[in-house]
Amino acid sequence: MDSLITAAARALAAGDPLGALKRVALRGDAPALALRGIAMAQLGDLGRATALLRSAARAFGRKEAVARARCVVAQAEIALVSRDLTWPAKALDAARATLEAHGDRINAAHARNVEIRRLLLIGRLDEAESKLAVLDSTPLPPASKAAHELVVAGIAIRRLQTKAAREALTRARHAASEADIPALTAEVERAFLLLVTPAARLIARGEERLLLLEEIEALPGSGALVVDACRNIVRDERLAVPLASRPVLFALARALGEAWPGDVPRAILVARAFRARHADESHRARLRVEIGRLRAAIRTLADVKATKRGFALMPRRAREIAVLAPPVEEQHPAVLAFLADGESWSSSALAIALGASPRTVQRALEQLAAAGKVQSYGRGRARRWMTPPVPGFPTILLLPGPLPGD
Amino acid sequence: MKKSAAEILREYGPFPGAEQVHGVTFDGRHVWFASGDRLNALDPSSGQTVRSIDVAAHAGTAFDGKHLFQIAEDRIQKIDPKTGHVVATIPTPGGGDSGLAWAEGTLWVGQYRDRKIHQIDPETGAILRTIESSRFVTGVTWVDGELWHATWEGDESEIRQIDHETGEVLEVLAMPAGVSVSGLESDGGDQLFCGGGSSGKVRAIRRPRRESR
Repeated sequence: MDSLITAAARALAAGDPLGALKRVALRGDAPALALRGIAMAQLGDLGRATALLRSAARAFGRKEAVARARCVVAQAEIALVSRDLTWPAKALDAARATLEAHGDRINAAHARNVEIRRLLLIGRLDEAESKLAVLDSTPLPPASKAAHELVVAGIAIRRLQTKAAREALTRARHAASEADIPALTAEVERAFLLLVTPAARLIARGEERLLLLEEIEALPGSGALVVDACRNIVRDERLAVPLASRPVLFALARALGEAWPGDVPRAILVARAFRARHADESHRARLRVEIGRLRAAIRTLADVKATKRGFALMPRRAREIAVLAPPVEEQHPAVLAFLADGESWSSSALAIALGASPRTVQRALEQLAAAGKVQSYGRGRARRWMTPPVPGFPTILLLPGPLPGD
Repeated sequence: MKKSAAEILREYGPFPGAEQVHGVTFDGRHVWFASGDRLNALDPSSGQTVRSIDVAAHAGTAFDGKHLFQIAEDRIQKIDPKTGHVVATIPTPGGGDSGLAWAEGTLWVGQYRDRKIHQIDPETGAILRTIESSRFVTGVTWVDGELWHATWEGDESEIRQIDHETGEVLEVLAMPAGVSVSGLESDGGDQLFCGGGSSGKVRAIRRPRRESR
């Protein structure tokens, strides 16, 4: 390695990207381009950084496979941090294989970690989990280790596994303090906040209270029948009945759940389920049909009993009924209920699942996106929608040093 | 051209606080190695570092019998090893200088990616002569009238003896796969000391004896 590159790399490692740039600003050889790229990324000019790293990857000779692969991994990480999810995953995978083949275990593990972060970000939880299972995080330096544990925590939170999430965040906190990068520590602390921030409201016997993630996780074991308005399911300890694709039935179940142990007048049920201000005879007939359908759907969990003024829910096994609702009532709850599984959805799949027209779903998604409640990636038919990510995506860059001979 | 595998006689380090080893040189007793912000003196018999000088040390290192020469950024510092003071500074010939050697009153500087070795005036830094190599040049050393240089290219390292007039490769010692050589110095006898880059190690390898000697 040459002297100026070494001096620049040292400046970069010491958190002085300007010092690094000063030393190699006028040089156009491959290591200088790579260093300039990383320095620009640290200065926040991600567009210029990507262009520089791309030319660096080209400028490294065919034989300098490791240096090239590191440039590719750095580009992928910049793409991830700037939420450019169209970045080709295949190139990252090939770079990781190259690094592995050349014994660069640290950067190979780093590349794998970037790949898993991307999968989590685009809501492919199963794939992210299976890749995580085979990733050996031992060679990772503390900073990358913290990023890795954030991903583990992110998946656990999506899966409502609070204990696993807390353990992963504790390990992330430890690694971040070892790495001694304040931005990373802040990232971990922000993720910890999710565990102490109410994630839902519980409505039971006419009273409301906010629930933490942990309490939501414990809910199925509490013996109560839960009408879950976050995911549009009705469940007790043993069984869950999904009603996400049947919004009318769910609206009825929710209204009945909120009133339990009382009943709900027909007019109110009509208003809640059909959004009709005044119930006429046709509404009443329709209500009877829908109540019949609800009764059939949740038969194993509860009965729907007719009362003098309307209907009431009678749990079969559970002694309590509670409604779980988002902390703040959202627009388009049915759409959000589907996206609450943390996976990514195409709008056409959502339309089929919701039994709504693609145009209606598209409009709902656009409104939700404008409000920051959902996000999309990809274009045209490949476009996918998901709820905004939980932790697992440190916005800080932990780029590999793409230099040969070091 | 003779080609054989390099025979590693001994490995030193890694050393605490020295993540990378750049240039190496030998003052007759100690192996000096550059580790970024320090020059360190290693006792090759015990394997212990016995001294260090706080000075920017980013690439090649050389010894003229009295002073240490050390490349830092775009200059060559002349250092009095007794006091640790920089007594003079000259510019490096290129922008990407790597190896450094002293021989017969002049300095020899390897220019890494330009695959060149320059002979320069140690007083002014003026280039006296340039030899082209076919590989990236890391370390450079002279011993018994033989010019040797190390390469690290395509994730492979070799130590090559070249003809100092024509640049023709006379002999090649191949390092094991993935083992890099960042700096090179002879002990004046049968050993060559090699800086080990990011491995943080210094290695001693056997210099082949030629029958004519």
